[in-house]
Amino acid sequence: MRLIDLPRTTSFRLALLFVVLFGLSSLTLFGFLYWRMEGFLVSRVDDWLIRERIDFLREEPARLPLRLDNRARNAASDERIIALFDAGGQRIAGNSVAFPQQIPVFDKPFEFVLPKEDGKDRFRGLVHRLPSGSQILIAQNLEEIQEFDQVLVNALIWGGAITVVLGLAGAAGVGAGAIRRIDAVTLAIERIVQGDLSSRLPTRGTSDDVDRLVRVVNGMLDEIERLMQEVKGTCDNIAHDLRTPLTRLLGGLERARRRAATVDEYAAAVDEGIEETRGLLKTFTALLRISEVEDSVRRAGFVPVNLVEIAKDVVEFYEPYADEQNVTLTFRADIDAAQPISGDPSLLFEAIGNLVDNAIKFTPGAGRVTVRVFHHDRTLGVAIEDTGPGIADAERDAVLRRFYRAEKSRSAPGHGLGLSLVAAVARLHRMELIIEDGRPGTTFKLQSDTQSG
Amino acid sequence: MARVLVVEDDAQTAAEIVGALVDHGLEVDSAATGPDGLLRAAAGGYDAIVLDRMLPGGLDGLGLLSTLRAVGVEVPVLILSALSAVDERVRGLRAGGDDYLTKPFDFLELTARLDVLMRPRGALSPETALRVGNLEVDLLTHTVRRGGQLIDLLPREYRLLEYLMRHEGQVVTRTMLFEEVWHYRYDEPTNVIDVHVSKLRRKIDPEGAAPMIQTVRGSGYVLNAAD
Repeated sequence: MRLIDLPRTTSFRLALLFVVLFGLSSLTLFGFLYWRMEGFLVSRVDDWLIRERIDFLREEPARLPLRLDNRARNAASDERIIALFDAGGQRIAGNSVAFPQQIPVFDKPFEFVLPKEDGKDRFRGLVHRLPSGSQILIAQNLEEIQEFDQVLVNALIWGGAITVVLGLAGAAGVGAGAIRRIDAVTLAIERIVQGDLSSRLPTRGTSDDVDRLVRVVNGMLDEIERLMQEVKGTCDNIAHDLRTPLTRLLGGLERARRRAATVDEYAAAVDEGIEETRGLLKTFTALLRISEVEDSVRRAGFVPVNLVEIAKDVVEFYEPYADEQNVTLTFRADIDAAQPISGDPSLLFEAIGNLVDNAIKFTPGAGRVTVRVFHHDRTLGVAIEDTGPGIADAERDAVLRRFYRAEKSRSAPGHGLGLSLVAAVARLHRMELIIEDGRPGTTFKLQSDTQSG
Repeated sequence: MARVLVVEDDAQTAAEIVGALVDHGLEVDSAATGPDGLLRAAAGGYDAIVLDRMLPGGLDGLGLLSTLRAVGVEVPVLILSALSAVDERVRGLRAGGDDYLTKPFDFLELTARLDVLMRPRGALSPETALRVGNLEVDLLTHTVRRGGQLIDLLPREYRLLEYLMRHEGQVVTRTMLFEEVWHYRYDEPTNVIDVHVSKLRRKIDPEGAAPMIQTVRGSGYVLNAAD
């Protein structure tokens, strides 16, 4: 992570935005507070001014100068001043202050400035004109209010500074955390891009938004890895499985070229070649069919079908073959299994047929194969049970792979694509292909959840 | 001699199809584009048309076919396509196609299906019996006799035999049998059909008699009167 990247991260910007928003709202709140506080203090001063004015109005005018002088002498401070002036503005009694130079309105509070030894003082006061023509000034020094203001503003500045510093630090922290996380994810992705498909993006295990995204991506990677392995396995297997017939074909043709002398011999070689090529074509057709079936567009051709009918047709179709192989083929169906489902009858026939075909092929003489259509616990499906040698646990997943042929069945005819096709048909019909240990033998199940349709 | 029009844009595929059909004893014309195919087909004189689904020239196979049907040309049409998806097939047949074949296909499959398509359709009077050599099928009672000897067949075996007899002397492929007798379709049916056919053979051919159902090299059968 580089520091220069920090301001570009979303979390940093978000944190910054919050700092700014918080600052603005604090400023507004503070301003409002300041305004109301100031108003409150000033109105208190005004209240006092008016109270004093009324008080002095009640006083005998002749006693006023004496009382004002007494008051000025006894006052602890000259915070609040009251002084009497004659009509010309000369002081007669009270606190010794100069008469304000301008008086906007009589009997209304106003602010004015008076000089003092080291500068000037701000006052708020009012002037009342007595019937005698002399004027009385009542005022309060505003220094205290100003000090209060100062404290308030200082608090604002410090509070603001702390907020900004903490906010920035928080934003940097959050941004750095995000960068570390993104860096870790980026690194993992780069590793994957470079070919390490088994690598996964790191999660925190907190189920936060990034974790959720990472989990989806990891799921996608699992699927990609599975597909890649399947493709690789398929390619390997195609190459492997096609090499044998191609070698035979080539060998036959070369032998004919070398040895064949008569038309009959050539014809025999050509027939052999045709036979091999037909087998190859068959394998390719099977491959094409699987990828076509996997293309879910085919669902457009779905019609309502009945698994019981199809399974019964399959059993009837395979009965002579089972007879020939000395295998007893029986059919059973649960009473409520005859439910219409949406599907492609030919594909379902082919899938069930493939499973039955395999079961018969891999069940030794005098064995039994049972096709059972079941419907219980909201699961509808077909089970094909055989009494054959069974499939080793280790091979159960592998048999679904294209071209895979269990060790025991290497010698049996077939191209090893049957179960892949069944799996593809199952996926197309949103069914599950399950391989179970039949003890003895194997059970293949094609089943779907009737709830989800 | 029956005349067939092949409408196929790929020159090599067209040449192979034409070659196979000529070898099968048909007189063959070919067209490489939709408009050309439409002109030739509309001019008439063909007993069947082999039509590629994808064609250049602004008029594809299905368009050509709908146009032909719209102007009342009822010649049987077999559609060729690289797609075997069911809805593709349904769409092809709905547009007026009589049969559908997915590439790559065996030429035997093509010629066998064409033969069935070109079989003279007429005989409106309902048949009540089929007869090939000394093999007789009563279509009303579903009884089968060979040389007067009653043969007991299972229902499916009966339908297999009926189909073979209706196409006496014509090659029918496994795929066609599977489609017509079992009513399921896939392009690569298993050899299990052979088991059904050999069972049927054992039932209809008495000891020592010449077999009536012959296997055609590749993937088909033909039923002939035993001589």
